[in-house]
Amino acid sequence: MAARPATPASPKTNYKVKAPQPGQPIYGCEHLQRLFNQDQATTNTSIQHYKAILRSIYDTTPLLSQTAKAIDGQIVTSLTPTYLCLQCPSTLTEDDRTKHGSKKSHRFYVDSRSGALYCQMCDDIVWDPTFEELRLKKVGTGTFTTRKRKHEELFEASDPVRDNPTYIPFNTTAASCKANGLRGIYNAGATCYQNVVLQSFLHNPILRNFYLSDGHSSSNCDTPHCLSCAMDDMFQDFYALENTNGYTAANILSGFWISEKKAFENLVTTKEQDAHEFFQFLAEELHERNGDGKKPETGSEHSCNCIIHQTFYGKLQSNTTCQSCGGVTDQVQSFLDLSLPLENLSHKKGRKGTARPGGSLTLQECLDEEYVKSDKCEYRCHSCGSMQQARRQTSIKRLPNVLSIQLKRFEYKQGRNERAAKIDTPVQFPLQLSMLPYTNRARGQDVRESYELARSCTYDLLSVVVHVGEIDTGHYVSYCRVGDQWFAFNDHKVELAQKSDVLNSRAYLLFYVVRSLS
Amino acid sequence: MSSEAGETGKAGIIVASDDASPMEKLSHAILDDLLYNTLHDLLLKVHRDEKIARANTAAIKVEKLAMSTIEGATVDPKPDVEIETDAAIYKEGKVTLKGNPLKSTKEILCPRCHLPRLLHPTDGKGARKPDPGVIYCKRHPYIEKPGYDIYGQTWVAPGPGRGKKKKDQKLDPNDPSSPVPNIEGSAKDRPPNVLSFPSATCSKCKRCILVTRLNNHMGSCIGNSGRNASRAAAQKISNGSQAGSQNNDNTPPGSQKGTPLPGSRATSPRKRDVDELDEDAEESDATNPKKKKMRPNSLPKKVILKSKSPAAQANPKKEKAKASSNLYLEQRADDDVKDSTVQVAPKKQTPNPKGLSPTKKNKLGQSKPPLPLAAGKKAKRERDMESESSGTVSSPPH
Repeated sequence: MAARPATPASPKTNYKVKAPQPGQPIYGCEHLQRLFNQDQATTNTSIQHYKAILRSIYDTTPLLSQTAKAIDGQIVTSLTPTYLCLQCPSTLTEDDRTKHGSKKSHRFYVDSRSGALYCQMCDDIVWDPTFEELRLKKVGTGTFTTRKRKHEELFEASDPVRDNPTYIPFNTTAASCKANGLRGIYNAGATCYQNVVLQSFLHNPILRNFYLSDGHSSSNCDTPHCLSCAMDDMFQDFYALENTNGYTAANILSGFWISEKKAFENLVTTKEQDAHEFFQFLAEELHERNGDGKKPETGSEHSCNCIIHQTFYGKLQSNTTCQSCGGVTDQVQSFLDLSLPLENLSHKKGRKGTARPGGSLTLQECLDEEYVKSDKCEYRCHSCGSMQQARRQTSIKRLPNVLSIQLKRFEYKQGRNERAAKIDTPVQFPLQLSMLPYTNRARGQDVRESYELARSCTYDLLSVVVHVGEIDTGHYVSYCRVGDQWFAFNDHKVELAQKSDVLNSRAYLLFYVVRSLS
Repeated sequence: MSSEAGETGKAGIIVASDDASPMEKLSHAILDDLLYNTLHDLLLKVHRDEKIARANTAAIKVEKLAMSTIEGATVDPKPDVEIETDAAIYKEGKVTLKGNPLKSTKEILCPRCHLPRLLHPTDGKGARKPDPGVIYCKRHPYIEKPGYDIYGQTWVAPGPGRGKKKKDQKLDPNDPSSPVPNIEGSAKDRPPNVLSFPSATCSKCKRCILVTRLNNHMGSCIGNSGRNASRAAAQKISNGSQAGSQNNDNTPPGSQKGTPLPGSRATSPRKRDVDELDEDAEESDATNPKKKKMRPNSLPKKVILKSKSPAAQANPKKEKAKASSNLYLEQRADDDVKDSTVQVAPKKQTPNPKGLSPTKKNKLGQSKPPLPLAAGKKAKRERDMESESSGTVSSPPH
């Protein structure tokens, strides 16, 4: 097992099983119940051992947990899951599991691919609340302790909710089981570009939690036609009402019309508009309503604690190296989203003849081009004091919680027949994206062994905005994920979607959420 | 998962033949393992959801039973009783399981409302009739049925409104895309799952506006500096990105406002070509109200064209000019119809490629403008070009 310097639990602490919750059994099965009720020492060793196994599965190379020692002493490394005994340090293949069990009377094993617990007496995987909580924490944040703990302890003494379990049911009305946030939004006349962005906000877990926990209470807000209040109303309508009919985003629309943002003057028309521009508009507007009130300046290192900055903003770092004197200039900028150009790359690939059938690109290739490779530029070097050739390299300094990526499908073509054109090149994007190679931490060091770092840079696809049609007219649809199920949103209509539908779509905007959040 | 234990449990689907090379055997074995892992992960996910739901159901049931044994209205959350069911034991306020909940518990109770969950959708793919005697949790499985949304809802085609006549609403009987052909009439005649577009109140003038017109209304009602702003913006945009597109945007915005066709802007159909239209007609969904709006309209216009064509044949040169100028006028009046006029007609012809006189006449009449090009070529060639030329038909007037 990987010996880690800071083991969160010293051997002296007494582990407890998870406190009984109403509507939930305390143990995963009768046999685990017997194990936990033996004595404190058994409980301690079981939980400690389970934690150690989880660490070896998730924090070390899979080679360790996938390698089993057969009863006859033969070492087998397999691709398929092996079983790690909970009661002793052996790792077994599925075939040997039964033999080991009858020989040593060890009955519990951990599946090496998922960390799930197998009970030999049930002959089934068992989902024990105590173990499952540990597993979920490990999969999600990578640690067994929650950062919240301090906060919880501070308020423990005077928490009316904790003292009186009936406090919540008596003081609130539970939302109906039917209210699940899945509703369409009516098209108010060429407003599909707004609808797709609103849907992706509605299914963004951070924004949802913010608005549903009264992050911006519309009853306490005095700003007339506040867009954040309109968002608040919309979240309430989506997650608290039983209504399954489409939503009419009248307040958002009027807030949009009334808004006096100079930068987005051209956006406020009755025409079809760019969804990405609306996303920027909404983000800035909500930042102003919830944040420090300062206008975010493009290019600067602006940071604030508002919900929009917490959700979408990250930081980019660019190093410019002067080619003549070798002097390096660092510059840090905040970003709301990453914009990836497609045209040059698809041309380049086309010339090289390496293009896949259909000339498709991958999202990783586009990211490589921007945040791994360096480019040449001219700049005024401080030490040379003259215009010089320089090499510029950009990487991500801080990753956001929700990463929004724009694929620049709409480009203004230079040349004789100047016009804007849509690039329809398919770009393959993954359900799970590792952003580690594009961070500045990936520079110069071998990060392959750092599983913890890799996990904190792993993102899951959350929603996809797709544009169908031509540059100057078309339609926007979007896909959003709720749990593991994907849904297709086409204005007021919501339908089930397959993962293949999502992955085969010609994405324009992609929203990824960091895994360690869940 | 459980029943397979003891055996290898491996998928064993991808097996190399005995005389295969070692490399071949190895790659087969790897593929087989990967397939096994994929299935393993999928199964584990489903197993987890299902088993936890059943275990919780067993706990909820036994807790409910324990509560009901206590007389009176005391709301003690932990009654001091001992209850045992087939699946769980309640003792000292704690619930423990008896056996495997996957075997002992058959239904799933919602952890929030404690009502049984409906396990199959009521309509569409995999539908089953729910037991009418049971009150289910309101969270139902989502419905997967073409033309309907996840709640089994569909929408009425936008009704006759301004700029639309009742007769235009007649649904094309040849059009398979109308999922509910009998939805004409008032809201009372409609089945409950057919919804109509709602209206909303404008926050400024407090008037009630149909949602599809809300944006246009706000544009003129709130619109930052009134009409001129949008006119100016329209000008700006049309100057910027005009080059290859048709001259829709050159219509003065003022006149567009004057005849507010529902979605005249949104539905501008330039993007659609023949192929797309065909596709739309085939897939039977009401996804896009815009599409529906266009189709009924195209019906009467088509008639005009058809009636023209025999004459056009008689006197090609004169009629050509006339026909196209007529077309031109129609486009001016209602630019929604423009493309569909041209597009639907060829589509209707294609099913009868060998058709003799009537179709041919139509075709000839239609493809008038590019005729000089096609002249001398065989009729077959002409037909092949039809889809391409349909685009050009509409362009000469501009």
